[in-house]
Amino acid sequence: MTNNFLEIHNVTFKAGNKAKVNNLSLNIEKEGDIICLLGPSGIGKTTMLRTIAGLEKIHSGKIILKNKILSSNDTHIEPENRNISLSFQDNCLFPHYTVFQNIEFGAAQNKKTKKYLNANEIINFLNLEHVMDKFPHEISSGEAQRASLARSLLTKPDLLLLDEPLSNVDQSFKEEIQVKLKKILTELKITTIIVTHDSYEAFYLGTKCGIILNGQLKQYDDPYNVYHFPNSIEVVNFLNRGILIPAKVTGENSLENEDLGTIKGNFIKHYPKGSDVQLLLQPEDLEHDDKSNLKLEVVDRKFRGTNFIYTLKTLNNLLIPVFVHSHHIHQHEVDEKFGIKRPINIDHIVCF
Amino acid sequence: MINFKKINIWYFSTFFISAIVAIPILTVFSSFFETTSNYSLILKDTFLYEYIFNSIVLLSGVLFVTFFIGVGCAYVVSFYKFPGVNFFKWALILSFAVPAYIYAYSLTAFFENYGTAFSIFKFFFGEGDYNSFIPKFDGMLGAIISISFSLFGYVYVLSRASFHYQSQNLIELGKNLGFSKKKSFFKIILPSARPAIVAGLSLVAMETLSDFGSVSFFGVSTLTTGIYNAWTSFDDLTLANRLSFFLLIFILCLFILENFSRKKAQYHSPSKDGFKSRSLIQLTGYKALFVFTFCFLIFFISFLFPILQMLYWTVIFPKHLFDLNIFDLLKNTVLLVFLSCLVLIFLAFVSNYGSRVSKSKFLEILTTFSVSGYAIPGVILAVAFISFISWFDNNVVSLLFIKTIKPIFIGSILGLVFVYFIRFYSLACNGIKSGYLKINYSIDESSYLLGYSKFKTFTNIHLPYLKNSVFLIGILIAIEIIKELPITLIMRPFNFETFATTAYIFASQDLLEAAAAPSLFLIAISSAFILITSRYILKD
Repeated sequence: MTNNFLEIHNVTFKAGNKAKVNNLSLNIEKEGDIICLLGPSGIGKTTMLRTIAGLEKIHSGKIILKNKILSSNDTHIEPENRNISLSFQDNCLFPHYTVFQNIEFGAAQNKKTKKYLNANEIINFLNLEHVMDKFPHEISSGEAQRASLARSLLTKPDLLLLDEPLSNVDQSFKEEIQVKLKKILTELKITTIIVTHDSYEAFYLGTKCGIILNGQLKQYDDPYNVYHFPNSIEVVNFLNRGILIPAKVTGENSLENEDLGTIKGNFIKHYPKGSDVQLLLQPEDLEHDDKSNLKLEVVDRKFRGTNFIYTLKTLNNLLIPVFVHSHHIHQHEVDEKFGIKRPINIDHIVCF
Repeated sequence: MINFKKINIWYFSTFFISAIVAIPILTVFSSFFETTSNYSLILKDTFLYEYIFNSIVLLSGVLFVTFFIGVGCAYVVSFYKFPGVNFFKWALILSFAVPAYIYAYSLTAFFENYGTAFSIFKFFFGEGDYNSFIPKFDGMLGAIISISFSLFGYVYVLSRASFHYQSQNLIELGKNLGFSKKKSFFKIILPSARPAIVAGLSLVAMETLSDFGSVSFFGVSTLTTGIYNAWTSFDDLTLANRLSFFLLIFILCLFILENFSRKKAQYHSPSKDGFKSRSLIQLTGYKALFVFTFCFLIFFISFLFPILQMLYWTVIFPKHLFDLNIFDLLKNTVLLVFLSCLVLIFLAFVSNYGSRVSKSKFLEILTTFSVSGYAIPGVILAVAFISFISWFDNNVVSLLFIKTIKPIFIGSILGLVFVYFIRFYSLACNGIKSGYLKINYSIDESSYLLGYSKFKTFTNIHLPYLKNSVFLIGILIAIEIIKELPITLIMRPFNFETFATTAYIFASQDLLEAAAAPSLFLIAISSAFILITSRYILKD
């Protein structure tokens, strides 16, 4: 036995007879950690949660929670005896109970909860006061999702599993709920696994993030590292936060690209001089400078409120994204020339 | 196909219940391995083709009439606003309360020589030879009319639901394409409702082929009466079962057609996004009068006419009413309804819950197969059940050194309820199943994850949620049992009568006026139940 809070050893997660995630191992070290699992739709994230919750049986491997085997080849503890709560993406409120009765339903079975929270606190916390007497079909899907979350929280589970918990919540409300959710999970030290496809949500909420692609856990690290130091081209493509451009390593701290010239920075992995590599260029890596003699053609401009993302075309037809603060003194139209500050300095150089 | 790991108490219970319900189908099938009497040869050379021909003619006639009446009424009440439309919407389903055999008695009583029609003419115009021009609705024509007006409700209810949920978008699309009302009806409205109409017609077809009371009253020889005769007149159970097999094949085709259509009909179910409520077209002048008259005529002919006829006789022959042991008949009917509802709902719950918890494909297939009992005519069920008990008694019970179990199951309340159970199991099972379909499986899972066991999930989630469905199913079962004739007739204990059997016995002795009072009670009770459930029936 180890000191990890949750251990998943070589588990193949299956939905029906179809293997969704193969031979996955993952540990949650401390109680209260929040793990976010990211991956495209249909990849098996929900299957993982259902298996951890005990709704699906495993055929190989082991799941251990607080040093107790929950699932293995010959053990299967029923879901009602695991003290694991799963909040489904489609909320699954009991249709014949009001929102309040739904929230109380879980607490009624788990009396110990009262030491930690009461229903009213949670209701206020998640701004659900106005829908308490309504039935599930009378409320919005975002409200239903929050009610489902409240119901799960009130059981004070050993492990809380949230499947796309805020996917239906209005954008305007989402950040507020994220902040509150993080606060409550941290204060109550509720160990949580959140499945989402919103990378920003994962980066904000997660103590650690896991990227699941092609049936494998590709990267499991803290959010900063996942974003800035993706460990494979697949992860880069999935996060879709930059592009890979061809470059040649020219020194300890430099590379050369045909269109952009010399690029300087700290390599996170050593490559011999002269190596041909794919350099990860993220939108924030390049700076705009009207006076620069490195001019690229604007092919698209996306206004994102706080910034613009310009898509620039190089002579070799590479399309490079660049952030510019939206208060920048002037805007560049499509087909205009756009200056890039030289020399190009990137804080950390990620190559493949 | 069977996953042995899944076998538990729920799995076993569901399997057992489905297997019991499948007994008649298996018995009927097994008749092919047994020898029959000489009557089968005689039958093959004489009446068999007549039975088949009559069954086909009857079926075609009934389908034509019910299509015309059912779809016509559903269309006008769904798309138009005219005086009385809200009344007709529910009044037209009251025809369900009048069984075809009672309709047959009324029809005969009204149009027969010196019948009620004659009396009316005589009252207004004095003595005369009215019999020569009063039309006679007997034989095949009488059977078609009786069955059609008793069953068109199936087509009406299902078509109306389909028309009701047809999106305004579709109709607006028709207008946009420049279609006239007539063209919109034939090109858009009718094709969209086709699966629902076919489903309704399939139910009508199954009931028509199962009908015993009215065809026997009118002396029309169909496969169903043939089965009854093979058993009662020639004492040849095997032949009765073999004839049943042919009828079953016929019905199975309809059943498959109905199932297929129903699946397609789901595409017409209301969705939050697709459904846009329709504004009704206001009719005025002669158009309103025409539509009102049409609906009123159908309501009158299907419901008021048999009631008034029965009421008329009850009033002019009050002796029969006073001779009737109403308390006993009511007590017997209530007893049968109560016991059957209890058994059916309890077992349907066990079976559905077992199927849900086991998540077994095999059980699902078995349940689907077993609920086809509804499609089997009552006569066949009763005969097959008696055959099975006889076989079981001779081959199994005798080995256990028990004298006989026949008296326990044949001619007893237990046996009667048992066959009711087989006949109406699909009603209860499908009713609870459709309730369960509305409970997403993840609702159960949510409950487990909140720490509730399977049993607590059943008592805290399923039961409260399904209580309305259970109430509705209970009432529907009650209506069916009150009206049920052939099973009650064959399986009932000696001297145990219901309103249905009393009416039939009087009618078969040509004492139609005596059949009026029990018929009237039967219609009144059924109507009350239909009115209670009309909101649900019209909704879905």
